[in-house]
Amino acid sequence: MTTIALTAAWVAFLLGMAWYVAVLDGLWAAAREGRSPRAPLANPLYRCATMLRHQSNLTEAPDLLNWRLAPALYAGLAGTGVALVPFSSTNVLADLDVGIVWWGAIEALTVVIVFLHGWSANSQFGLIGAYRYVAIGLPVMLISMFVLIATALPAESLAIPKIIESQRGFWNVIRQPVGLPLFLLLGLSLSFRGPFNYADSADVAGGTAAEVSGAPRLVWEFARLAMLTAVAAVAASVFLGGYLGPWFPGPMWLVLKTAAVLLVLVGLSHQLARISPSRMMTLIWTVLLPLSFLHLVWAGVLAL
Amino acid sequence: MNVTDIAFWIFAAIAVVSGWRVFCTDSMVRASFLLMLSFIAVGLIMVLLNAPYLGIATVFMMAVEMMVMALFMVMYMMNPAGLNPMMMVHQHRFSIAAGVFLFAALAGLIIVTRFASNPVAPGTEVVAGLGKELLGDSMLIFETAGVTLLATMVASVILSSRSGRFGAADTGSVPPPLEPGGEPAGRQPEQGGGHAHHHH
Repeated sequence: MTTIALTAAWVAFLLGMAWYVAVLDGLWAAAREGRSPRAPLANPLYRCATMLRHQSNLTEAPDLLNWRLAPALYAGLAGTGVALVPFSSTNVLADLDVGIVWWGAIEALTVVIVFLHGWSANSQFGLIGAYRYVAIGLPVMLISMFVLIATALPAESLAIPKIIESQRGFWNVIRQPVGLPLFLLLGLSLSFRGPFNYADSADVAGGTAAEVSGAPRLVWEFARLAMLTAVAAVAASVFLGGYLGPWFPGPMWLVLKTAAVLLVLVGLSHQLARISPSRMMTLIWTVLLPLSFLHLVWAGVLAL
Repeated sequence: MNVTDIAFWIFAAIAVVSGWRVFCTDSMVRASFLLMLSFIAVGLIMVLLNAPYLGIATVFMMAVEMMVMALFMVMYMMNPAGLNPMMMVHQHRFSIAAGVFLFAALAGLIIVTRFASNPVAPGTEVVAGLGKELLGDSMLIFETAGVTLLATMVASVILSSRSGRFGAADTGSVPPPLEPGGEPAGRQPEQGGGHAHHHH
């Protein structure tokens, strides 16, 4: 594929998967509330149109540069995350030697950008959401880094294409069974959904997005879905063999696996309750982080 | 000029301008993230210099570090939550003089130094080479530094945490006096605890 075709595939993947997650969200919410969904396939598009027609809200003395840039940067980070993922053995947009290190940078910069989004609005709820997000988002990011380093061990490389090729015998989800569940927590945290929605939840009136409406709000909500897509695509690649698989062509396997991971992520975000930030901090630092250390030791011993 | 040169000049300009703006802004959060932007530009220049691991690790480290630094500065500032506008520089004359002197010294060094020119051959396994260096000849240095930093972090958490083996850390602590040997500053707690009386 040429670079232009790859770029088109990348855009289609991002938009298509974001739409897919929005549809799943609608269906899941309707099923939980016991009502029949109205126009489930078109509803996300209607909501986009509604948001675009709204006026962009302005607060008193915001940091306008950061406030307006944050949604775009967040979406951009999600985009670079998807660019790291190979569609097939020869088709990858960003073929980095240090792919998972860049993914780590995406995670770290996401925490910064979500913080700035809440901080720059000059509003209390945004600031509370921003602080809570940093407290939870940083340790979750540490867990995901240990989990990702573990996947690099059998491949002897930090490049995502090589990590996929190392899974020709066994997928990493079999060799390193704890890795995928821990990495899915990162997905919920990076796009602050369900049990990890400490940034934009209803208990702080929408948190970092409390004062955001109109086009910036549309970009922000799209970016959350795009970031979830990026996490799912990376998870499908480093744990589920990415494009590897029989019968179908590689890109189709990637799409199928990403869609399956997204289904699990949407299910988790609707079914799990959120606990208070301090209890979540205790859970992360005393249970999940040590678990990720043990996981890394296990992966290291296995790779020897 | 090829694309790499243009990218270098763009990143260099971002690094210098955002580094300068750190000292012009009135907010600690903005200062932290301007510094982060400066370091990110430097990290991307390292990527251009065929040091992809070091460059991208710089981006990653600086993002985490500046995020933590911004929060800690806000937490420990005297003005309400550290969110009010404040002057970011002190000792103007001394710092201007020191800055000019250091800039002249470093720029002079750059001009008089003859830099080696041995570009890395394309296809060299730079990341693997770095890994072998870090876990080979330089292992002692890096592990010593790493363990020292970890011990520092653990110690700082222990020192700053309120709950400790011997009870709450702030029990019996008094603020320092305003003058040497004087009375502790601030309002004194009343005998026997309970509510403090209001003195008008």
